[in-house]
Amino acid sequence: MTGKERIRTVLEHREADRIAVDFGTTPVTGIHCKVVEALRRHYGLDDHPVYVHEPGQMLGYIEDDLAEALGTDTAGCFAPKNSIGVLNKDWKEYRMPWGQVVMLPAKMVDSFTPKDGGLYTYPEGDNTLPPSGYMPERCYFFDSIERQQGEIDDDNLNVEDNLQEYSEIDDETLLYWKTVTDRAAQTGRAVVAGFGGMALGDVARIISMAIREPRGIRSVAEWYMSTVCRPDYVKELFDRISALAVRNLEKIHSVVGENVDVVYVCGADFGTQTSQFLSVETLDELYVPYYKRMNDWIHQNTTWKTFKHCCGAIYPLLDSLIGAGFDIINPVQIAAKDMDPQRLKDEFGDRVTFWGGGVDTQKTLPFGTPAQVREEVLKLCDIFSKGGGFVYNTVHNIQANVPVENVVALMDTLKEIRS
Amino acid sequence: MDNLYNAIFKGLAPVAKTSVQEALDSGKTPQEIIDASMIPAMEAIGREFEAGRVFVPNLLLSARAMKGALDILKPLMMAGQTTTLGTVVIGTVKGDLHDIGKNLVASMLEGRGFKVINLGTDVSKERFIEAARENEADIICLSALLTTTMDYMKDIVDAVRESGLDVKIMVGGAPLTPDFASGIGADGYSSNANEAVAVAKQLVAV
Repeated sequence: MTGKERIRTVLEHREADRIAVDFGTTPVTGIHCKVVEALRRHYGLDDHPVYVHEPGQMLGYIEDDLAEALGTDTAGCFAPKNSIGVLNKDWKEYRMPWGQVVMLPAKMVDSFTPKDGGLYTYPEGDNTLPPSGYMPERCYFFDSIERQQGEIDDDNLNVEDNLQEYSEIDDETLLYWKTVTDRAAQTGRAVVAGFGGMALGDVARIISMAIREPRGIRSVAEWYMSTVCRPDYVKELFDRISALAVRNLEKIHSVVGENVDVVYVCGADFGTQTSQFLSVETLDELYVPYYKRMNDWIHQNTTWKTFKHCCGAIYPLLDSLIGAGFDIINPVQIAAKDMDPQRLKDEFGDRVTFWGGGVDTQKTLPFGTPAQVREEVLKLCDIFSKGGGFVYNTVHNIQANVPVENVVALMDTLKEIRS
Repeated sequence: MDNLYNAIFKGLAPVAKTSVQEALDSGKTPQEIIDASMIPAMEAIGREFEAGRVFVPNLLLSARAMKGALDILKPLMMAGQTTTLGTVVIGTVKGDLHDIGKNLVASMLEGRGFKVINLGTDVSKERFIEAARENEADIICLSALLTTTMDYMKDIVDAVRESGLDVKIMVGGAPLTPDFASGIGADGYSSNANEAVAVAKQLVAV
């Protein structure tokens, strides 16, 4: 089987010739650039600085040679601009505070300002604006700086303000998507595309590092409170976003066609480690109708499968998310409350594909031994892979502090299972 | 129940502000208002959260309403006339900028009767020690969201112990576990903001 066939098979809830695997095709199934460099060295690949396609989390680009070494079945298509709003081109070397030399867009590198022991970054790489991201000392990625201006004036809230980063897709961007999806399809791997514009209430987007002068509700806490105290505003916003998303999807589909296998829809997290950010009723009322509008359009007009990222203890919400038309759930945070792998598989395994859940990244992968990693990977693959409906990935991105021997133990175990 | 209690329980900040003024106008002292309405409201919303009937956004709203009311009362309270359960110094550890959970813990502690000094994010061990000494803190609360920053908590615990300060240390944050907390020598751990109040009360033996 090709990677594309393998992914397609498991997404149809049938077992493939071997377990399907993804590394690095989305902002939530990736690998930190520090670990990407260590893996390139481990596999004896060409020694050059790693390209960082997502600076918010400092995710390293998995080039074809590494994808082959890792046995990944997927090829990722990322938006033309990174999370700072800078085009991923005109790459320039930069030495990060931990000593690693990486490649980042020159426009971003040239705007960096070291200060307070850390590093500031700016929307669209424009350092005449207030900074939108900061990498403090001892940190391995840029975190958003909240730029909410004063208290929210409820009498004058205008939903247009929270729509400032959304627009009708232009011809140049359509051509870009055609080019990158054509190229990805030629790899024979399944194409995973993050077209953007479909996220509902993803706080990483709400406080976006890319927007020059953010307006509307732009604070994480304020957003969460708005789901309780401003439901009409939230619904109006989601109505507008989802309607625009469908119009853009029509245009995108007309140029990329069925080259795409999986589309990343939304990364809004509804779970904490032990609870949820909302009730089932609130999810059903505020989010589901608008998710359904986008997912239904995709299912009625394409062969794409829809991908929902949602961290945390989301067991009580899974029925609603599946009902909203999501084919894939990620990252399957097995260490969170009530997220027992066997129960998830037994109760939801025939209705949704678990894309992730392959090893705990809060404890086992960063702090366990290679033997513990191997044991956990074997156990979780055994549970999740039965009957298809499983694409191997760790629970969220592999972080900078993960010992390379643990990542190698993970990869070796996967090879053993798949051989 | 009174208007102020209801406003804080339901997270209605403007109503809480007018209600606290009404309570003052009726002749109640700030401490009476805090004890009779505000702390019981925060306790009640905490119980609802523990029971899974309300969620983090509700706690954030109640905490904001409580803070709005407290901001009106604070200038009216003479130093030494207030009753606190203890003094807490709280912050997110160095290298970590995540503060929603930490701020919620701070608000819940304040709303339930602790004096809270919030040091913000990216806080070094030296700043924790300095603030604890300056404010004669009973508890230092450390928060971290990242697996890459949680290890710094051990450095802070060690430095606090070496400093000779008589202070308890509580830790929390998504990737932490009770085992991790006891492994680094912390005195307390909690997995959420409401539980943090109970743990803090135990640590100061209230």
